[in-house]
Amino acid sequence: MPGSVKPILNPYSMKKVYLFKYGLTVLLLICAITVFAQKSAFTGKVVDEANQPLPGATVHIKGTDKSTVTDANGKFSFPSSNQSAIAVTITFIGYDLMERVITANEPVNIQLVPNQKSLSEVVVVGYSTVKKTDLTGAVTNLTTKDFNPGAVTNPLQLLDGKAAGVNVTSNGSEPGVAPTIRIRGLSSLEGGNDPLVVVDGIQGNMDLLNQVPPSEIASVDILKDASATAVYGSRGAPGVIIVTTKKTAAGKTSIEYTENTSLDVIARKLKELDAAQWSAEANALGVDVSANHGSNTDWFDLLTQNGVTQNHSLAFGGGANEFSYRASLTAIDQTGIVINTSYRKYIGSIVATQKALDDRLTLTMNLNSGINDATYEPNGVGNAAYSSDLISQAYISRPTDPVYNTNGTYYTDPNVFQYTNPYAVAETVKNNVNTNNMFGSLKADLDIYKGLSAGWFGSWRKRDDNNGYFLPAASQVTTAVEYNGIANISNANTDEKLMDIDLSYKHDFGKSHFDALALYEWQAQTYNGSFEQMRDFRSDVTTYNALQLGNIADYQSGDISSYKNDRRLISFVGQVHYSYDNKYLLTASFRRDGSTVFGIDNKWANFPSAAFAWRLDQENFMKDQHTVSSLKLRVGYGITGNQQGISPQNSIALVGLNPTSPSVYFGGQLIPNYYYTQNSNPDLKWETKKQANLGLDFGFFNDRLTGTVDVYTANTDNLLFNYTVPVEGPFLVTNEFANVGSLQDRGLELSLSYAVIRTKTTTLTLAGNASFMQSKVLSLGGDIDGYNIPTNYVGWGGGGNGYLVVGKPVGTILILKHTGVDSQGIETVEGESGGGVDQSAQSKYRYDEGQELPKYTYAFTPSFTYKNFDASMVWRGSGGNEIYDGVQAQLSLLENIGKSNVLQSAVPLGIHSSPFNSDEWLQNGDYLRFENLSFGYRFNFAENKFISGLRVSVIGQNLAIITKYKGLDPEVDLSGDSGSGQDYGTYPRTRTFSAGLNVILK
Amino acid sequence: MRKILFGIFIVGLAAQGCTNVKENVYDKLAANQFYSTPAGADDALATVYGKISGTWSSNYAGRDNCWYDLNSFAADEQVIPHRNTGDWQLDFAQLYLHTELPSLGIIDNTWNWAYETIYSANLAVTQLTAAKADPSKIAEAKVMRDWIYYLLIDDFGDVPFYTDNNVNPSSIVQTKRATIYNFLVTDLKANVDLLSTTRGGTYYGRFNKWAGYMVLAKLYLNAGVYTGTPDWADALAACNVVASGGFTLHPAAANSASLLGNSYFDLFGDVCPNDETILAEYLTENVVSGNIYAIRSLDSPNGTALIGFDGWNGTIIPGDFYDKYAANDIRKLQFLVGPQAGGSIYTETVSASIIAPGAAPDDGIRDVKFFPVAPSDASGESNDFPIYRYADVLLMQAECNIRLGNVGAAAPFLNQVRERAGLSDIAAPTLQNVYDERGFELNMEGHRRQDMIRFGTFLLPHGVAPNYSVPASPSYMLLFPIPTAAINADPSLKQNPGYQ
Repeated sequence: MPGSVKPILNPYSMKKVYLFKYGLTVLLLICAITVFAQKSAFTGKVVDEANQPLPGATVHIKGTDKSTVTDANGKFSFPSSNQSAIAVTITFIGYDLMERVITANEPVNIQLVPNQKSLSEVVVVGYSTVKKTDLTGAVTNLTTKDFNPGAVTNPLQLLDGKAAGVNVTSNGSEPGVAPTIRIRGLSSLEGGNDPLVVVDGIQGNMDLLNQVPPSEIASVDILKDASATAVYGSRGAPGVIIVTTKKTAAGKTSIEYTENTSLDVIARKLKELDAAQWSAEANALGVDVSANHGSNTDWFDLLTQNGVTQNHSLAFGGGANEFSYRASLTAIDQTGIVINTSYRKYIGSIVATQKALDDRLTLTMNLNSGINDATYEPNGVGNAAYSSDLISQAYISRPTDPVYNTNGTYYTDPNVFQYTNPYAVAETVKNNVNTNNMFGSLKADLDIYKGLSAGWFGSWRKRDDNNGYFLPAASQVTTAVEYNGIANISNANTDEKLMDIDLSYKHDFGKSHFDALALYEWQAQTYNGSFEQMRDFRSDVTTYNALQLGNIADYQSGDISSYKNDRRLISFVGQVHYSYDNKYLLTASFRRDGSTVFGIDNKWANFPSAAFAWRLDQENFMKDQHTVSSLKLRVGYGITGNQQGISPQNSIALVGLNPTSPSVYFGGQLIPNYYYTQNSNPDLKWETKKQANLGLDFGFFNDRLTGTVDVYTANTDNLLFNYTVPVEGPFLVTNEFANVGSLQDRGLELSLSYAVIRTKTTTLTLAGNASFMQSKVLSLGGDIDGYNIPTNYVGWGGGGNGYLVVGKPVGTILILKHTGVDSQGIETVEGESGGGVDQSAQSKYRYDEGQELPKYTYAFTPSFTYKNFDASMVWRGSGGNEIYDGVQAQLSLLENIGKSNVLQSAVPLGIHSSPFNSDEWLQNGDYLRFENLSFGYRFNFAENKFISGLRVSVIGQNLAIITKYKGLDPEVDLSGDSGSGQDYGTYPRTRTFSAGLNVILK
Repeated sequence: MRKILFGIFIVGLAAQGCTNVKENVYDKLAANQFYSTPAGADDALATVYGKISGTWSSNYAGRDNCWYDLNSFAADEQVIPHRNTGDWQLDFAQLYLHTELPSLGIIDNTWNWAYETIYSANLAVTQLTAAKADPSKIAEAKVMRDWIYYLLIDDFGDVPFYTDNNVNPSSIVQTKRATIYNFLVTDLKANVDLLSTTRGGTYYGRFNKWAGYMVLAKLYLNAGVYTGTPDWADALAACNVVASGGFTLHPAAANSASLLGNSYFDLFGDVCPNDETILAEYLTENVVSGNIYAIRSLDSPNGTALIGFDGWNGTIIPGDFYDKYAANDIRKLQFLVGPQAGGSIYTETVSASIIAPGAAPDDGIRDVKFFPVAPSDASGESNDFPIYRYADVLLMQAECNIRLGNVGAAAPFLNQVRERAGLSDIAAPTLQNVYDERGFELNMEGHRRQDMIRFGTFLLPHGVAPNYSVPASPSYMLLFPIPTAAINADPSLKQNPGYQ
């Protein structure tokens, strides 16, 4: 580091300094250079856990007032003295204090251990940041050291199991399909439960998160309670995920290459009859011999393979004092375990920061451009809706069917309605999705005068999806044969703009610290797109690339369509942080939102919140004890909203073409069949979630044992739901999206971490978290447009056995009781008479058998380091829920054997047929998954001219699962949507073995 | 400095139109503007026809799982057995065996379809009146509404009744069958003469005067069932008005150009012929719904051989129903039994219970009365559906005359229908003769349940033992149950007695 740089210690730049760990170190470093001479006898180098130099660490000689800070290379030195050895303490933000004895003229390498609880770290809470110790709400802060290692294709996979109350579920391992995340369970039924995502100030939905390269994420802050999310008003109810990407500190240059390659194998298979078993069983059941085509085909095997996932990421950056930049390029390439499925994602990003006006003005520009190419497994290819995806088709296909006809075309049996040749479908159908994604932002911060600053932030995001689909006649799919091939292209364009203008003021007077923010925000989103379809192609060569080659005579209504709509959200935000004597902390916020999508009578909404925290550990009465090292009590209350579920034009009465019968014959000719498509609802508005949270953060024994407990209760009123209304009175169609009803969420979250061993060479930390939650329907239906609309027992997943029932948990299972089989092999259930039973929702024969959403989730995340070796594990699980195993139900009826394969377990079960969906197929959904096991070793290249660090790792993912669930995987759709708690066959889940490499160049 | 910045802040907000949250509409039509024009009023009328043809689970006839299936499968003329290969749900067999429960989907679909159609008709009346449309169009909307109410009281008895959409749903109450009957008779009498007398052309598939009188005739014909007091004289008078519209029976003659080789089957072809058809439902596969009645019956290879698409292997004709046809009856051409194109061999008998374990794949007689016409595909054909035709009127005239004691006057009406079918005359016809003839002539057209109830056969045992015999039914089954979902949505609705 050249000494020519002017030392700067501008107090007004502290806000930014907090943001970057390294930023502060640089400033200190510069001071240091000017204070100390260069010659030395006691020298050393301080490095971080990645063996990267740590500039700016404070090195203090014990028993003296002498101290220094490390330079850009992490090196430090003290002038020679008479002593042969000195004892030093090394401190650095975010790392444990280290003590060492240094011998004169023997340079030492000192590696610091990261804090288990980095109290000095800053956390982004909405539009501002606070020190972690000053948090008043329920916020989980995760940084790179907390992230799950391994083959990560979506940032959500980094968080899996790492935060209490944050549940990441992936339903199968289809490349390019993102997991779902739920923060503190459900707050809505149809209003949307996906959290708001904020990436470096840009707000968006889950797709925005998918556009961030996982390896470029520096930290993720998850805002869980309403006192923290209320600042996001009508978008805050489902929680907020704030992602901060990596930046390069001024004065440092680096090039980093990270790579991970994995082999993905199928974790579990269903046991079905093979050809010989099928033949024997079919024969025994009197199936006509014509159904046996004498082949021996393992359809599932034919359709699956081992997959490979590669992640490559190159990041570099650098800068001088007033300028810094970071650029990265990430490539993710995934080959699915189902043949002909793949996913490729490329993301390039650049962030640049420039200071000006005597460092009072900071400009930060961010650009991110990504390309996603996915080839998905074709869906909707079977005749029967319940089994129309490829994997289900493979399950149903008889093992005695051949793959090909003797003439080389794909075989299909016209007598079979239930499936078409799944291999033909996989080999011939094209289903490609290309998504181009680009976003950029500019942020300007100006320090005006003594703590007063102003900011402007603008972002623009564009996303273009282009989907090409071709169903050739060769696929043997009925509709494709009928129309001699069907091809279509659909385009969807999204344009999202956001602008913030803010004024903030910070001031200390006496023991009080005051920090206030006023902000105006404007957001606009525009969506448009089109769909074009043609049928009857002379040749399959052009697939969907030449729609004009189809036959116009086969045009059908609905083959061409387009759309456009937009929405705007305008907000005024005020937020105050106040602290007194570092003991009493108060945060209050207020937001007023106006949205175009709300009904004409309810355009504006207010969202207040307040939270208070008491740092008991700072009190005098806590000074004289050593058991409790930190203790903070938090209480908070806030009102948040949810408007995700409201689409543009949801509140006005609309007329459109009837989508199911777009033409009508009238007056001797065909004319367009216009009809009412939507009821008017001028009162349509956001859902209102009122949440109270009580939390305790604690540390014992010098923070060897740390933890957090939170309890919360939340009521969502004005619940959005698509109510069934009678076609009478003011109602034009049979449903209306209205704000009636309410939902209650209650929960308890606990996270604990215990450092069993904490020495300079070895650490062993046992950490884990658990959460208990319950979402209950308090009321449904009621007054809609002045009319009483009673609503109850609404079907909600669970294979047709899940319901929304007032006073019961969301997705309560009400199911018929299996009693056996009768003499003809027909399943019998309780209450049955003459082969029938009332199967309606409120049938007295349905009994309450629990719920389809887990009651608890938990994770255990131990980690171990010894010198340069590290190891970690993630075990996570959930339970208290029931799953309707639709796959088993369907593959267990022996009467289907003539037209389907069945499970091996179906034979001893002996159920010939069943008119019911009984509890025979309902299973406990508890599981514990060995999600991640990782070993890493870091090579030291202290003296190498080119390489400063190199780490290799091997990781196993989804290594084992402990469950009683008989289906493929108990991690089915648990999102709380209307398809939850049922298993109708999905893309199989993989077990993954990967090797990773990380190189940092000098 | 601060002032300047605040200034910029405020100007910035103003420039953005900072608080404008008015909604833009680019790609949809707002309802309040759409129907306020004369063209929009016509669209409101057309929408009602759109509801009648409907589509899957919501239609008068053509597709499945709605009014036609409910009223056809509950009778003795057709059934879809569960197959021992696991194919077909039990709904159809349950209706046939009179074991249906109030939660059956077909019942719920019929109810919803009827009320949605009534809603559209009410709306059309309001819109047309507001647009000061031609009185014949307003009458047309009202007659359509009356027709749907007639279908509702026929199936369900006492039902919710309203004629103005702009009322509070709580004021819409379940009304006595007889009360609705009286309203319908009065309303029809006030409107049918306002309807157009045009047959075909711009009135093909629409309610003209003759179709209006046909509805009135059907109401009177079943007055005894609906009110306890028959009204055969008024029924006959209404039939006579329909007959004055100049209808004739479509000739039946061997003709290689016709479906099934006989011009009789033109009646069920692409376009219902004007000579005999009083009211047709226009259907064109995938354009306006579609007609599934043939492909639903054929099995897969037979369907492929006949029309190029796999049949669904569904509907069969019960053996006892089939056996009543005379061997030389030309209408018997609609049935397929024995070896067929594509190698299928349809048996007349059913080898096992139609509920469980289910019939063998090729068990049962098949029906191609609606022999598929193009455009067609695996989900249906384009045959129009005759809602009412003149042969029905002739048989009603015969029935009324017999019931009024004029057997001699009845014979010519009945015999016209018999002669066309290639059968000999009956000089002194009985009610049984008329009932049987209605079965032969009007099967597969949705009339059978009502006829069985009026002639007192609905509750009697029928079918073929042991695999699909229907035992004597309790009298409450003369009405279908009110659907469970409707009662759940409106707890004030009373279930029909006998159902739980």
